[in-house]
Amino acid sequence: MSALSKVTYFCRSAAVGLKHSPFVHFIAVTTIAIALFSAGMARGAARVLDNLLASLGGEVEVTVYLAPELDADEVHGVRSLVLALSGGEVTLVSPDAALSRLRSELGDLGEALAELPENPLPVSLELRVPPERRNPDALLALAKTLRAAPGVAGVDYGEAAVQRLSAIARALRFGSLVAFAVVLGATVVIVAATLQLAIYSRRGEIEIQKLVGATDRFVKAPFLLEGLLQGVLGAAVALFGLWAFGRVLGPTLGALFAFLLGPGVAAPWVEPRLVLELLCAGCGLGLGGSFVAVGRFLRV
Amino acid sequence: MIQFFHVYKAYPGDPPVLSDINLNVEKGEFVFLTGPSGAGKTTLLKLVFCAEKATKGQILVGGRNIARIRESAVPYLRRNIGVVFQDFKLLPHRTVEDNVSFTLDVLGVPRAEAREKVRRMLKLVGLEHKAGSYPLRLSGGEQQRVVIARALVNDPTILLADEPTGNLDPALTVEIMDLLTQVNVRGTTVMVATHDATLLSRYQKRTVRLERGQIVSDEDGVKAARRMVV
Repeated sequence: MSALSKVTYFCRSAAVGLKHSPFVHFIAVTTIAIALFSAGMARGAARVLDNLLASLGGEVEVTVYLAPELDADEVHGVRSLVLALSGGEVTLVSPDAALSRLRSELGDLGEALAELPENPLPVSLELRVPPERRNPDALLALAKTLRAAPGVAGVDYGEAAVQRLSAIARALRFGSLVAFAVVLGATVVIVAATLQLAIYSRRGEIEIQKLVGATDRFVKAPFLLEGLLQGVLGAAVALFGLWAFGRVLGPTLGALFAFLLGPGVAAPWVEPRLVLELLCAGCGLGLGGSFVAVGRFLRV
Repeated sequence: MIQFFHVYKAYPGDPPVLSDINLNVEKGEFVFLTGPSGAGKTTLLKLVFCAEKATKGQILVGGRNIARIRESAVPYLRRNIGVVFQDFKLLPHRTVEDNVSFTLDVLGVPRAEAREKVRRMLKLVGLEHKAGSYPLRLSGGEQQRVVIARALVNDPTILLADEPTGNLDPALTVEIMDLLTQVNVRGTTVMVATHDATLLSRYQKRTVRLERGQIVSDEDGVKAARRMVV
């Protein structure tokens, strides 16, 4: 018995199968390609969403209010401490500067501030956090640390807005994951159904194979190989589609949404990791579909 | 070589197809299974190559109890059994050579070795010159000879033939039966299911007669042939 002979036979048999039912295999490859193209687009959209979150996260500023009794040296000390704890950029805002800013923000109503007997605003530090800490958990931890620091009267960073934004992103990611799972499941069913047509036309061959002593694995192997080839072809078509999409529409989309999304959208749509993922997914879909399809013809 | 001990086969809701079958076929023997249509001949053969499972009883093939055989072991049992079907079961889109080498492909026999074995087998059945032809271009007798070549190409110890001459005219019938006899002479145990009485009287081999799923007689060739004449 020769393993090489068997492998040669499987390849030959798979080639015969592809040759005998080209239309059925075309349908299967197209189905896989559409599913993987959609998955690739979803990945691109997720990346855009991440960029959007990062850019909005960059807008979030942490304001540290200092205790009113601190003198200039102590304020400087707290500023150094905040700088060390956050690792970002710290701007000192004096009470006068804060009042002036508030007055301009209030517009006509700002005139009312002149009636105040004294400036009620404390010295504050405006902190621009580094990108790696622009997420709800890191911001919450930073705020907790800063609140416990000596000389700090309060910390504000728009907690509710950040958490809502993150919740929306989580929901969108979960939704796209569910949608992707549904698309994958449907693809396996469609691929299996189309492959069953091809296998049905070769049921006589399967029956004879079984009668002359072929194991189930031997019977399945050429069909699984066909499925694998379909998966690879489907993935290749999907990757080409994504590449073409990125080349043709990528720059236009980047220009249209640059004000909102920042530079991320201009990133290439087909990356090495995506190539690997789609190839693996394609192989999985092809193998899964053919595995389901061939199973029911093995009972002889 | 093949032993049946109190074997029953029944399908749910139907009367039993085989009832209390006791049979012993020696190595190298030639046995006719005969009886009217529906007597259980095909089912009995199917039990031998595990296309069906016995409802009750024990079946030994080459000393192995196949009534309790695991599903995964069935292919290895079948590699020792050649089967010839009345409806040929040839692949129409493959040449005669490819049809015969199909069995060897399953066994992973290297291409060159397989080609040599197929050539020898086609010579044995007298179809060496038709190696490149497609089955549908052959006569019924030639197609049946291709099936016999396919069944024998990996040197099985047992050959089962289910109505191998059922679709053939008398001349071709003799041709095929002569071939099966020749195979038996080479040492292969042969079981042939047939309801053709002329074959029984012509070849005078051990004859097991089935009626309504039961063995009603088991006679040596001369006795059976004499009864046919009477």
